[in-house]
Amino acid sequence: MYSPDDTIVAVATPPGRGGIGVVRVSGPAAAAAAGAILRAGHDLQPRRATLTSVVGAPDLERALDQVVATYFPAPASYTGEDVVEISGHGSPVLLRQIVEAVVRAGARLAEPGEFTLRAFLNGRMDLVQAEAVADLIEAVTPLQARVAFDQLEGTVTAAIGAIDAALFDLSARLEASIDFPEEGYHFAEPAAVAAETRSLQQRAQALLAGARAGRLVREGRQVVILGKPNVGKSTLFNRLLGAPRAIVTDVPGTTRDLLTETAEVEGLPLTLVDTAGIRRTADAVESEGVARARGALQVAAAVLLVLDRSRPLDDEDLALLHETAAADRVIVVNKADRPPVWDAADLQDAGPRVTVSLRDEADPAGVRRALAELLWAGEPLRDTPTLSNLRHIVLVERAAAALARAADAADAAAPEELLLADLQDARAALEEVTGKRTADDVLQRIFTRFCIGK
Amino acid sequence: MDQYDVIVVGAGHAGCEAAYAAARIGARVGLCTLSDATVAHMPCNPAVGGTAKGHLVREIDALGGLMGLAIDAVGIQFKLLNLSRGPAVWSPRAQADKKLYGAWMKQALDREPGLDWIIGRAGRILVERGRVAGVALEEGGRIGCRAVVVTTGTFLNGLIHVGPETRAAGRAGEPASHALAESLKSLGFRWGRLKTGTPPRLDRRSIDFSRFEPAPGDEPPVPFSFMTEAIDRPQVLCHLLYTTGRVADIVRRHIGRSPLYNGQISGIGPRYCPSLEDKIMRFPDRERHQIFLEPEGLDVDETYVNGYSMSLPRDVQAELVRALPGLEDAVMLRPGYAVEYDFVQPTELYPTFETKRIGGLFLAGQVNGTSGYEEAAAQGLLAGINAVRRTRGREPLVIGRDEAYTGVLADDLTTRGCLEPYRMFTSRAEHRLLLRIDNADLRLTPRGREVGLVSDARWARFERRRERYERNRARVRRTTVALDGGKRLRAAQALRRPEVRLERLAAQGGLALEIAPGERHIDLASVETEFKYAGYLDRQQAAIARARRQEGLRIPGDFRYAGVPGLSREMVERLSATRPATLGQAARVPGVTPAAVAVIGAHVGRGAGSGPHAAAPAPTPGENRQPTST
Repeated sequence: MYSPDDTIVAVATPPGRGGIGVVRVSGPAAAAAAGAILRAGHDLQPRRATLTSVVGAPDLERALDQVVATYFPAPASYTGEDVVEISGHGSPVLLRQIVEAVVRAGARLAEPGEFTLRAFLNGRMDLVQAEAVADLIEAVTPLQARVAFDQLEGTVTAAIGAIDAALFDLSARLEASIDFPEEGYHFAEPAAVAAETRSLQQRAQALLAGARAGRLVREGRQVVILGKPNVGKSTLFNRLLGAPRAIVTDVPGTTRDLLTETAEVEGLPLTLVDTAGIRRTADAVESEGVARARGALQVAAAVLLVLDRSRPLDDEDLALLHETAAADRVIVVNKADRPPVWDAADLQDAGPRVTVSLRDEADPAGVRRALAELLWAGEPLRDTPTLSNLRHIVLVERAAAALARAADAADAAAPEELLLADLQDARAALEEVTGKRTADDVLQRIFTRFCIGK
Repeated sequence: MDQYDVIVVGAGHAGCEAAYAAARIGARVGLCTLSDATVAHMPCNPAVGGTAKGHLVREIDALGGLMGLAIDAVGIQFKLLNLSRGPAVWSPRAQADKKLYGAWMKQALDREPGLDWIIGRAGRILVERGRVAGVALEEGGRIGCRAVVVTTGTFLNGLIHVGPETRAAGRAGEPASHALAESLKSLGFRWGRLKTGTPPRLDRRSIDFSRFEPAPGDEPPVPFSFMTEAIDRPQVLCHLLYTTGRVADIVRRHIGRSPLYNGQISGIGPRYCPSLEDKIMRFPDRERHQIFLEPEGLDVDETYVNGYSMSLPRDVQAELVRALPGLEDAVMLRPGYAVEYDFVQPTELYPTFETKRIGGLFLAGQVNGTSGYEEAAAQGLLAGINAVRRTRGREPLVIGRDEAYTGVLADDLTTRGCLEPYRMFTSRAEHRLLLRIDNADLRLTPRGREVGLVSDARWARFERRRERYERNRARVRRTTVALDGGKRLRAAQALRRPEVRLERLAAQGGLALEIAPGERHIDLASVETEFKYAGYLDRQQAAIARARRQEGLRIPGDFRYAGVPGLSREMVERLSATRPATLGQAARVPGVTPAAVAVIGAHVGRGAGSGPHAAAPAPTPGENRQPTST
């Protein structure tokens, strides 16, 4: 994944045209490379933007563009190494020429994620922060960006570090009790140990309490829209997307296949699935669509079940109500613009219901809110720190479980070395979150998530 | 033809084990010492064992070494420490009759036909083409050999301090070694300087023991060795007393005359075994500190003042002794002292204790920066075995961290080096619950047998004990017992309850266990633990399996760390100097971050910076011989 050459270069801005484009150079030869290709290269002042011009391939003679260059000497830079950032006009051709010129001056092309990997290796950020960089770049909702930025700022790192430090202190005292039994000195009073362990377990649990919401924000959820033919599923789909993505007609069975789109609903990144209306049918294509709709139900986190209030509930409606009873669902009682033949209140114990006229309401706010409320499940995003990354959550869960065992052992007055075995497990898990310890392959996996230039 | 296969320099605790092991395996051994009157001498505490150190002694014994047998033969007070805790941290300790200990050890060595004493002062290690060729004595004469084990303790440039008085000495009354130190330094090893100390000795006849709390041993005493049936020597009392405010006042008043505090001593002392000066100055809030009065033998008048080591001037020491309540009339036979000495950074060694620079040259004991007789003996044993195996071209004996404290010791020293005198603690063993005194034989006796150190008698006894253990385990799994409530359940399950003890289950009938009369403690503990702590043991086994993956990735000897991006200059220097053999060892080199380990792993894995066989899996440093509970 990484070769021994030491100075790396890449375009840091997205591919395509833009107002500006940034080339980033990092490594011991960064300043020298800048000196070779910038007219003012040797005069770059640390951390001061300098307007100059850049010469390029093939002969490093002709000026290519006017650029703003900034030199960040090690260690106060993104990677912790010497870094030069060159902002030119955002032409892909131009940027490629600048990169080529830097390569000729002794750098090599960066691997994906290599700038951030170097920042991690040089101790500029821990693993949580490095992962937050990727999350921040990939964020599609403001909530995602907020959670990622909090993590980049170090809130999760600090919370985990504090628990780890307390564990270290407690472990040291317990170890001293074992290794110096003849000192006649209590390094840790048994009752205090039980209380301390329990409190550390609670701190780990408290971190996890926000994790469900964190994952919801980071990963989003898949939501499937179900119902009989012609009840308004595709209309709901389009309304939630805010675009006429699905074809809507009065002909029952218009939607045959699954339609999948992502949408931001109340700040949550959701994958919406529109499905064929469920009914018994002899049409081979349609019945395959019905089967796929049922399949989508199996994998979805939540269901929007659409019912038509202007027609009586029939066996197919009731079967669907029954089929989705165990799922997290919102019942969308549609066609409120027509004379009702039944009322939403008739559906006793069926869970959240929203009565709506999808034909008339361009933005079904009631459905959005009910869906978001269902997904939050009474645990809204709290203040920081928020765990959102499954890798972190699994490890903190492991730590919390080990702490629970230790607390139980302490309550039962088990000897210190048994408590310590669990405390050791807890510490190992917590330190794996921040990268103080790591399993062999974790780093590889994390840094391959990045695209080049990060 | 070389006169010897192996020459061992020094007959302290490391040297005795090294020479004995090498001779038992069948090598021709020369044991070079200044005097055969101080064999296996105890210049400090007249005791063997203690937490974690007791584990080392059990392991030495399980491998076929001497220390456990010696202390069982001459011990005058035995105590199993940490009995209020679980069996993993039970650790034996015993007071030795110090004179008898040396005499017993000398006799044991005298019985080895392949071992010669060389009374003289080793002056120079002879090296030819990067390999050991022999030893030159300061008195003249060269003795050829194929491997040398240097176990010189605190003798290399030893300097003793008693207040402002200093004199060159390895121990009280014994000359230091300068020529040998120079010879070793000239070979290019990295050095450091450490300090340790010892308390004053008092005349027993001048002490009023009725004034102190008696501190008795266990009754009956539990032996160290798997070969010992029972301890029959008469047992003695130690006595407990405490420092007072007056003691603290005297220390503070004279602190400027302590070589530790006036800049006279530069060597680094052990934080965990602080001198009296450090106790008073660094822990001003502690009202009092414990002191034990320990006899140095049955018919010896010297009494050791444990916890009172100091290097203040003689007159201040005398004042400090008489300041202790009950010691107002005590006569100080000799003062305590601090000793500074050179040591070789043990990162110069492979985990076999052979130096990386000179083939066939082994270092063991305090010369490697450790403290303690037990740490020294364990190193000596491994060095002695491996010196012989080296001369015979056999695979070395390397014991893993997950197999024994001995393995933890070897790995810690050779990957981390020493910043202060290294003492073993149970907390250094991350797989502590598996490394118990009750299963030291199950873990190590087969390995000792493989290298030829375990005698037929020991092996036969071990096999009986192992079969007993297996049968007892099967019975515990099979048999149902009735607990107080009357409900019947399997003994294995009953034992998981904290209050249920195997001994009681066996006593109440229904569960028939085979217990050997002399080994009751071990037989019960090793079976009970397997069931009582099964959950913990399984988790530690899982952790071992995870760690094995890293341990298994071998780093080629010529691997270029400088070619790996992201490694700081400091890390490159440390790793290049230490040259860890596996990725697991690299991870334990101080200052090497997990991120760096991952990157090194990636490079080693694809063979960068080395030949085509870079990623060949390392032979596991010892399969875990731990019987797994199923």
